[in-house]
Amino acid sequence: MSIRIALAKGRLEADARKLLQRAGLFPREETYPSRALILPGAEPDVDFLLAKPGDVPVYVEHGVADLGIVGLDILREGTFDVYEPLLLPFGHCRLSVAVPRERVDAYHSLRLNPNPRVATKYPNLTLQYFHARGVSPEIIPLQGSVELGPLVGLSDVIVDLVQTGRTLRENGLVEVRVIMESQAVLIANRASYRLKEQRIGRILEQIQEAL
Amino acid sequence: MDWRKDIGLSNGHRPPGWPLPHGIIDRFWEEAAHLRAVAETLRGVFRRWGYTEFIPPTFEYAETLNTGAGPLLQEQMYRFFDRDGKMLVLRPDMTIPTARLVGSKLFDQPFPQRFFYSGQVFRYNEPRAGLQREFYQAGVELIGVASVEGDGEILALAVESFHALNLRDFRLVLGQMEFFRGLLDALNLPPKAADELRSALDRKSAPDVQRFITRWGIQGPARQALLRLPYLHGGEDVLLQAREIALNARMEAALDRLHALKRVLDIHGIIPYVTLDLAEVRGMAYYTDITFEGFVPGLGVSLLSGGRYDDLVGKFGPPQPAVGFAIALDRALRAREAQRAPLPRWTPDVVVGGPVTEENLARVDALRHSGHSVAWLYTATSPEEVWAYARRLKIPRAFWYGEDIRTWEEGE
Repeated sequence: MSIRIALAKGRLEADARKLLQRAGLFPREETYPSRALILPGAEPDVDFLLAKPGDVPVYVEHGVADLGIVGLDILREGTFDVYEPLLLPFGHCRLSVAVPRERVDAYHSLRLNPNPRVATKYPNLTLQYFHARGVSPEIIPLQGSVELGPLVGLSDVIVDLVQTGRTLRENGLVEVRVIMESQAVLIANRASYRLKEQRIGRILEQIQEAL
Repeated sequence: MDWRKDIGLSNGHRPPGWPLPHGIIDRFWEEAAHLRAVAETLRGVFRRWGYTEFIPPTFEYAETLNTGAGPLLQEQMYRFFDRDGKMLVLRPDMTIPTARLVGSKLFDQPFPQRFFYSGQVFRYNEPRAGLQREFYQAGVELIGVASVEGDGEILALAVESFHALNLRDFRLVLGQMEFFRGLLDALNLPPKAADELRSALDRKSAPDVQRFITRWGIQGPARQALLRLPYLHGGEDVLLQAREIALNARMEAALDRLHALKRVLDIHGIIPYVTLDLAEVRGMAYYTDITFEGFVPGLGVSLLSGGRYDDLVGKFGPPQPAVGFAIALDRALRAREAQRAPLPRWTPDVVVGGPVTEENLARVDALRHSGHSVAWLYTATSPEEVWAYARRLKIPRAFWYGEDIRTWEEGE
């Protein structure tokens, strides 16, 4: 029974590879073609699947990957029935509400804005957050460069990932609320976790030792 | 409606697609035959273990089914109105109707009572891993046995069901709600905190359990118990480890019961199929004692789930202990396909061509009486047309009863 691990491309990729290399699971040499989507592991019964971050929990939930490394932000944005045995010490960031500097006062209380227009890549988490505070936002779903929203008059506020806050500052935005703290998390398919219990248990130990 | 006749589609005239509601599918050809074969296999197994069939109504009063359903299942019900304005729901499972039947009608009949069912249930949820909004379940309920012998029978019957379906390398994951409830008693926390802990355990998130410990300031033996709980799964040694963290009599009693159950499972010879998991907390709204889920390689989700629900029958009449399970047939089909289990034939065995004469009818009747399923292709004017029909529908044998008798077999 081999183990397939789905890795999120992009933000978490380099750190995830380094961790898995230290754990002896990912090959040290980049001997594979750079566009390959399935990569052999350093151990014969392990391989890796490179996927868009949002697809990692999908692969794992359906069991085509046994394990996956993805951000908590992505995981919570959907509803995925997977196990989350390990938090990994990289990819730290927060999902925040940010508003144009000149409007900060208006967002001192979210509830005083009956229907803010919110640009975001995270419509579900955003809706949950605002609804829980009795505010009904108009969600403007975007795929990228969310901070453009207020600049071009598309939205009043944005909800986006913040790492250092530099992008926000450069675009005249101020972080006013933190919706959630995010970091990388190791997820596991529920069936694989049972059916490949020992192999997965060993991999978890290897990763934990490499942390 | 010319296109009904002109099925050649050569003129590009194709009938319009008639959409089905989301989560509703047609089952035909292999799929239908496979579903029926799997159901029939299970029904056979259930009958051999002394279970008799219950065919519950497809819909009944919302009030009745709400009585037995947790909030999540209630949300998933299909509701509509009777002409007198009363709210009806399509059955979202078969266990609640069974509990109603036993509690309200069969309460003074001899116990134990053993029922099996197989049929559709309806839930308003996103189709996932083969489960549509109308999906098929087959399952059993053993009512009136409170002891571990009942749990053992149900678990052994689950194992037997997997074998009967030709599924290999399956596992049953056994949880014990009472252990967790005992832990909650010992922690004595507000409901919100209990939910938080249950969610962390349900996701097997050791980091979140740790965070929970910090947030609620849990110390001493309770802290030790919580830290170890996420790792209390595996074989028999889990029971011994769990002894060390039991905080009160309720947790001890839950473990005693598992010990007793272990003896019964040993006699049934099914210990090798069972993983014990004391952090299993799924289905807490419903189950009172043991719970279990069945997994097979090739399917990323569980296809069997069950447990003990001693409180349910009592909602409809005199209380009775009960334990049972349901198999999601659609998932069983997927698992069998993934494991390349032999699939049943869905076509007739034989197709015949030729004019309808007394002589030909006698030939067809003879075939049918000898156990073959025989389709008669009246429109064929030559043996070649019959062979082509057989080839297209993968019918293994064909006969031509014309001037002469000719036969054809698959592969010719």
